[in-house]
Amino acid sequence: MGTITFGFKNIAAKSGHLEERWNYDTNSLLLAAPKIADIDGDGKQEILFGTKEGRLISIDLDGNLKWSFSVSNEYTDMELMFLDAETSNSISGTPNIEDINNDGKKEIVFGTEQGILHVLDYSGKELWKFPTGGPIRGAALIQRFANNQTGVFFGSHDKQLYFLNGAGQLYWKFAADSPIESCPILTPTPVPMIIFGTNDGTLYSINLKSELLWKYAIGRKILAQAVSVRDEKENLRIIVGATDGDIYCIDENGALLWRFHTEGAIFSPVTVDDINNDGKKEIVFGSCDNKVYALTIDGKELWNYETDFWVVTSPLIADIDGDGRKEIVVGSYDHNIYILDAEGSYLLDYVPGVSGIVGQTGQYGEALTKQPGKTKGKKIWQYQTEGIIVGCAHIDGSIIVNTESGKINDLVHRKT
Amino acid sequence: MEKLITRKGEIRRIPLYVDGLDEKMEGGVPEGHIVLVCGAAGTMKSSVSFNSVYNEAAMHGKIGLYISLEQSYPSLLNHIINMGYDLSKVNILLINNLSNISAQLEQIRNSKRGTLIFADLGCIRREIKDIKVTATVNEGWINVIKNLVKKIKSELELDLFVLDSLSALYVLSKFENPRVELFYIFQFLKDLDVTTYLISEMPLDGSRYSEFGVEDFLCDGIIHIRLTQFRRQVVREISIVKMRATNAKTDVFSLEFKDGKFQALYGGQNPLL
Repeated sequence: MGTITFGFKNIAAKSGHLEERWNYDTNSLLLAAPKIADIDGDGKQEILFGTKEGRLISIDLDGNLKWSFSVSNEYTDMELMFLDAETSNSISGTPNIEDINNDGKKEIVFGTEQGILHVLDYSGKELWKFPTGGPIRGAALIQRFANNQTGVFFGSHDKQLYFLNGAGQLYWKFAADSPIESCPILTPTPVPMIIFGTNDGTLYSINLKSELLWKYAIGRKILAQAVSVRDEKENLRIIVGATDGDIYCIDENGALLWRFHTEGAIFSPVTVDDINNDGKKEIVFGSCDNKVYALTIDGKELWNYETDFWVVTSPLIADIDGDGRKEIVVGSYDHNIYILDAEGSYLLDYVPGVSGIVGQTGQYGEALTKQPGKTKGKKIWQYQTEGIIVGCAHIDGSIIVNTESGKINDLVHRKT
Repeated sequence: MEKLITRKGEIRRIPLYVDGLDEKMEGGVPEGHIVLVCGAAGTMKSSVSFNSVYNEAAMHGKIGLYISLEQSYPSLLNHIINMGYDLSKVNILLINNLSNISAQLEQIRNSKRGTLIFADLGCIRREIKDIKVTATVNEGWINVIKNLVKKIKSELELDLFVLDSLSALYVLSKFENPRVELFYIFQFLKDLDVTTYLISEMPLDGSRYSEFGVEDFLCDGIIHIRLTQFRRQVVREISIVKMRATNAKTDVFSLEFKDGKFQALYGGQNPLL
């Protein structure tokens, strides 16, 4: 028996459009998302990002340059011959910002292709640096412990995971079997676990004494940072995407709970939030099959939305238009920023002679979602930038978009 | 970047200087093309490639770079001289260490004669075996080749480049993802706009022209040289398998080297018959 599918629109339709408030041209390629924070404590936020040519740049929220720091070359002429001149100083990861030395001001921590972890103060002055034996391509994790001390965790292509104190002294390093390009996480468990993925596709769990707790073999590169989340029963879940195109959900003992397959590689961490106000957390992520997916915490698909090219960056979840409902912000390699309805659009399957039309209100309410049918991703707004989107951040109604070609765009929602 | 032409015949070509073959391919290889010169051991792939670069340098003052990954500079030079090439007609520059390249290039900057630059990577490898660089060894040697080509191109206007051989590069650099890595290497060469001969050892079964197969469609042209046995005699045969932007005859020709010149004999017939 055939079915007829009805699409329903949200009663309170979203209006307005996205427009550019300003853009900033870095004159260099960009490889990662920006970070937004008030680093100098003046009550105003700054936007920080690294460039492919090796500059760490700070601009204000109006797109004016505050300062920039250039990574210096540490090589002899002969050593330079062995390096790719275009990438030898590259900053591939998003900088991290935290007061790591308890001086009341925030510091900026980032790694470079040269294999050096740099720490700058709020004004862009270098405080210390730490050399490793290979490129540092992932972001560093900064963790404040109960004793008010901070730790800096990061991986390197030399296959080591490093743990430094806030002054740049090495506590320990853990040897993995393969280069580490993902940013580690620390689980919020009574005995914290450090979780990170490697290029040979192994997810490691180690404790704060650098002892191996467990390993989970995925088999393909893990470049995305894992995310830890508690489910409805307060059980810890570790969710990570890999370049085999799958999302893996692993329990705190390293056992697979579920996996969700997509047709493209996954490069960025999933975003977890209650996107539809049902009191439960959902998982949103992008894949190189061009799609953005929303899953339940149990790995069931809620909806997906297909863009025209790869979705490499993590989606943001924010209320863009200030209507009290969340939207999903996604940047795609097709140069577009998509703002998606977090709840998707409901499609109802009506089977003539079997389903009653009564009660099919077509709204977002409980009654409707209990009817047979499915939900699909729904685009609200779209904005075309000048390049491949490598990351974005959200602050006070502004979407800050980094494009590979070197432009930073500030996009805002206008009601008319 | 590859130049756009506006009419037929506008493409400038680099002859192979193989009599009987150049005229079957509109005069030669289009400038800026990347050409695979492939065949089994002993087919004179290196000699055919060198022949084109040498003649362009000697007759038109061009600058050619020959990077040898397997054969040492003295061995290569002995071979060339023994074949009868007159090296006094060109400047010869040997690069066997990486520390004074600019100074070496400076010596010939204003010369009106053509120049052949030989880079002996085997020698360089022995010299710098203890060097500490953060890049992995795999990426390191590809970068050395890229940086050498780029440096010479920017300081002297490099016209021709021979990499001898792709197969040795694969031994030196274990590619994690050959399709992706080779795409970027070919893209690099195309962007440089240097006519390039990549020497490729064919697999023994002859099933493809290169190690990974991907090189076949990334390159602009394929010249195939093979050995064919006739009774107790073995002859070399040459054919143009592919040459973009060229109306090339794809027949098989017998290849001979006589009196210091290569000849392709038409018909694909065994000259012994």
